[in-house]
Amino acid sequence: MPEIGGSDLFVLEFGDILHYYTPYTTTLFVLALIFTALAILSRPEGQVDIAFGGDAYYAKETAVSEMRFRRFMTIACGLATMGAMGSGDIFNFTLFASLVGITNVGIVAAVKSRHVLDAAYEYGIVAMVATLPLFGGAALILATTGTLSIPALAAGASAVPLIGKALLALGVIGEGMAPFYAAKAEMFRAPGAPYVIMCSLSSLLIFLRVVEIAITI
Amino acid sequence: MEGCIVLIITRISRFVSNFQNLVALFAGACIIISLAGILSLPLGFEEQQLYPKTDLDPASGLYPYDRGGVPFGTTEVVAQYPENSPYAGYVTAYLTPLSQYLADHTHYLGTTIVAHPGGIVDEILYNTRGLDTVVETSILFAAFAIASYLFRREAE
Repeated sequence: MPEIGGSDLFVLEFGDILHYYTPYTTTLFVLALIFTALAILSRPEGQVDIAFGGDAYYAKETAVSEMRFRRFMTIACGLATMGAMGSGDIFNFTLFASLVGITNVGIVAAVKSRHVLDAAYEYGIVAMVATLPLFGGAALILATTGTLSIPALAAGASAVPLIGKALLALGVIGEGMAPFYAAKAEMFRAPGAPYVIMCSLSSLLIFLRVVEIAITI
Repeated sequence: MEGCIVLIITRISRFVSNFQNLVALFAGACIIISLAGILSLPLGFEEQQLYPKTDLDPASGLYPYDRGGVPFGTTEVVAQYPENSPYAGYVTAYLTPLSQYLADHTHYLGTTIVAHPGGIVDEILYNTRGLDTVVETSILFAAFAIASYLFRREAE
């Protein structure tokens, strides 16, 4: 089996669940960590709309409580992303991925914009349904190989069926990757820049991780 | 020919860029993958998971959870990393006196044992896959936080 992540730098043990950090996953983890720290420290943007064809502009007011909740959800999303980056267990990874999906909805849930909420609703439905192939893929891998541990599967003790990997990838893609990205792109219209960007970054990192998992196992 | 391809790509991207079509698109992808899954059947089932299935006794009151073992002794549980779970398999040690009495005098306690505090399944779960239970409740908590925030905002 190809080891695209490199050798382990650090292994964190939780019983049968391992968190392992290779140079690849450490890079992703550090990226998520830095961005979460930025989201904690930075102040949210104030959006300014300029009326087309004139000098008029208006600034959008956002309440402090709304921003506070959005920051909380961003931190939760960052923690979930960090968890998913290091996870050495497929079921645990799927749990973190679905936590990322639900916190993404939470980041824009407080926005008072019909368009953004419509997009978040559509995204929420897909993210919810996507948990079926996500957990289904993990269940299929467990049923056919008898283990969920990524290092054990990477060691090649038993072959992982292609359909298991496909279901896992479909589940992660449903959490907000292309071609199901349209709703997320609309969600970025919400004001509050460092927080909404977390939606995009978390999806990107989760996708990079699932690619690594699908190739490694 | 080239124009035709561009037209097709334009149409596809227009369809994909509208988030109202997202659910239909995802449903289509799910159908395709599911069909591929059905076509790839049968898949082999790995039977020796968690515990050996060979020495189960259907007559036991703890069936199907009776895997032998002495209270405060050790019982064989197939853990992925046994060195991380030194207490895995202390299964019957977790029975309360009442549960022990019920197991000795009635049948089918095995079907309700999961509901007991420190039931067998919980015991194995917490020993080997404890982080799962933490993340699962985190998902519930995040969903509850969103719902309660939106509900309280409505009240303002």
